[in-house]
This record gives sequence, C-alpha cells and structure tokens, in this order.
Amino acid sequence: MTRIADEQCRASFASLFEYFAPRVKSYMLQLGADASQAEDLAQEVMVTVWRKAGQYDPSKASVSTWIFRIARNRRIDAHRRSKRPDLEPDEPMLRPPDIEEPDTLVSRGQMEELVRRQLETLPPEQLELLRAAFYGGLSHSEIAKAFDLPLGTVKSRIRLAFNRLRGQLEDEA
Amino acid sequence: MSVSAQDTPFSELYSAYAAGCLDPAFALLVETQAALRDDVRNSIKISEAIAGVQLESEAPADMQADAVARALAVIDEMETSAPQFQRAALEAASDGLSELLTLPEPLRENALEAAGEAGWSRISPGLQRLKLAVSEDMETELYRIDAGTSVPRHSHSGSELTLVVSGGFTDETGQFGPGDLSVKGPKDTHTPTADDDGPCLVLAVRDGGLRFTGLIGLLQRLTG
Repeated sequence: MTRIADEQCRASFASLFEYFAPRVKSYMLQLGADASQAEDLAQEVMVTVWRKAGQYDPSKASVSTWIFRIARNRRIDAHRRSKRPDLEPDEPMLRPPDIEEPDTLVSRGQMEELVRRQLETLPPEQLELLRAAFYGGLSHSEIAKAFDLPLGTVKSRIRLAFNRLRGQLEDEA
Repeated sequence: MSVSAQDTPFSELYSAYAAGCLDPAFALLVETQAALRDDVRNSIKISEAIAGVQLESEAPADMQADAVARALAVIDEMETSAPQFQRAALEAASDGLSELLTLPEPLRENALEAAGEAGWSRISPGLQRLKLAVSEDMETELYRIDAGTSVPRHSHSGSELTLVVSGGFTDETGQFGPGDLSVKGPKDTHTPTADDDGPCLVLAVRDGGLRFTGLIGLLQRLTG
C-alpha cells in the first residue's frame, strides 16, 4: 500500500489487484450483482483503492478491512437497506457513554489483530451468525429465519460472540 | 464506570452499518456518534474488522483476463486529467463557516456541502436549520440553537433521532450532551432548551415531517 501511495507503483497495485479484485467480485456476486456488474464494481473498487491509497493508515485498519469499507460503500443495494431500523428500549446507542480509562485503549491496529485472533477461536455456530450479520447485513430476525433458530438465541449468540471479541481486548490491553 | 464485557455497547445497528445496509441518514448518525464517543467508535471498529476478515476468506471469483490492464488504463486516464477545482470551491463555500469546520467528519463534509448550496434557514429566534442531502427516505438536518434558547414546543409525525454534536440541551426527559442520542416517537412533544454556555448543534434524523404544535407551527403550515 505504501508503495502505491508514495511511488504510484503499478506492480504493487497489480499484485494487490490480483488478490483483492476476485474477492471483491465474489462479495458483489453474493450481494446479488450479476457477473458483469460484479466485475465492473470490483474494477471501480480497485481504482478507488489506487486513488485513495494515500489515505490508508496501517495503524487504523488492516488492508482488507479498508478495502472492505470501500467495497461496502460502493455497493448498490437500495432495496435491502433497512429504512426504519428497530430501536429497542434498551438500545445501547441511547445510553450515556461508558467512560474509558485512557490507558486501557488499544490502538485500532492492535484491535484488528486481536479481533482476528479471537475470531479464529469462536465456535462455528457463533462465527456463521457473525458473518451473516456483520458481512451479509442480515438483521437478527432475518438470521433467525435463515438459520431456523429462535430470535432470542440469535441475539444472545451474536451478543456473546461480540462481547468475547471485545472482552479479549480489555484483557490484553 | 469502567468498560466490562457486560456493558459493552452492542447494537444491531452496528452490524447493519458495518455491512453497509443502513440508510445513509442512520449511517451518518452512527459515524458522527462514533466520532464523538470512544465506546461507540470501538464497537464500530470491531464490527468492521469482523467484516474485513470475511472479505479475506471469500472464495475468489475469476476476473476477466485483462482486468488489471483495464484498471491501470482507467488510472492512467484519471492521472492525466486530475481536476483540482473542488478544493478551492469548498474553501470558498466554507468562508465564514468556521463553526462547521469544527464538526467531526463525515458530518463536516455533508454540512459544508449543504451550507454551500441552500444554506441555513432561520426557523425562530435563535434556531437555525441546515438540511443535509444524505438520504432519499429520511430527513436529515443539522440544527443550531443559540445558548439558552428554547426550541418551540413541537411533536413529530414520525420518529426522530437527535444526536448532540456540540453543546447540550435539556428537555422534559433530561439533559443531553455531546454524543448523547435522544429518541422521540410520534406522540412525544417536547421543548428542548440549549445550555447557557454556548450554542448547541444537533443532528436530527427523522422519517416524517416535524410538526410544530404552537403558533409557530401554524405559521409554518401557512407558509409551507
């Protein structure tokens, strides 16, 4: 990434392209794009990667998370947007902020590494639900239907897995 | 209070945001709250990291044989015709808008763009509104309330989420400071008053027109 940003290195871009473009295409296919749309979207995402390479900060995100964000923002999927997200009475976004001790904060780069390691230790039944929610964009009730699980089970498994990812951060910080 | 696994902020909205299927107005709200609060920012970062790892484990789909060459050709074309006028236009538009420049991104970009186009409109003494073009389905607005000013009592035809961006306000339900989010449903009526120590900026997202119930409301209906 550094060489793409600093030296406009086309060879580095080509190898990044070889790795990520097929994965971005696969992501777009799963979101319902047809083959030629997915090809074009992967192209556009990779050109954006070139254009924005100077903004990439390795201390904040891994390359794959950064490219995922670009791909996600590019996705054209209006009909699946939840126009009116359900806010539960105990919605955490409505709570006052938790006060964090500054010295327990890990850098975002470290955070990614910890999340990555912790994901590998999750049982498959938690991992597949996380994937459906955070990558596939399914709501908890859609996941309940897709996996034929009670809604409460879906909610508690996702919360448990998320807390584990988060809990681990505090242990290691 | 320190953060423990038990009070980890977790929301279904975070996964929807990470996956990119939140309405853009709500996405802006989540991003702005994350810019203001460490706990929300961390939860968002974890959510995006989960998704980023999934991209790596994706089974590659074959690209066309000349895909890299195509991308490089687009890049070559782009590099020879790089327009630089946008920055100057933005700076011109932001003249005299120093307050907006202190907003956290990505709200700042949206607000500067809106200020450069339609601009602020005055709703009542001490209350101004800037409509942001973010979402087709949601009204997204930045309100600026002068210190100590009360917003006329109003109800909402839909549900409204209000995020305090800077300053603070108090209404019948409590005190709200930067990063705090207030939710009002169709039946709620309230009279928020900005804190005395400075202007209060709030980001409001709603799915129906805001109706003022007092005299101002009548004027508003008459004048459209």
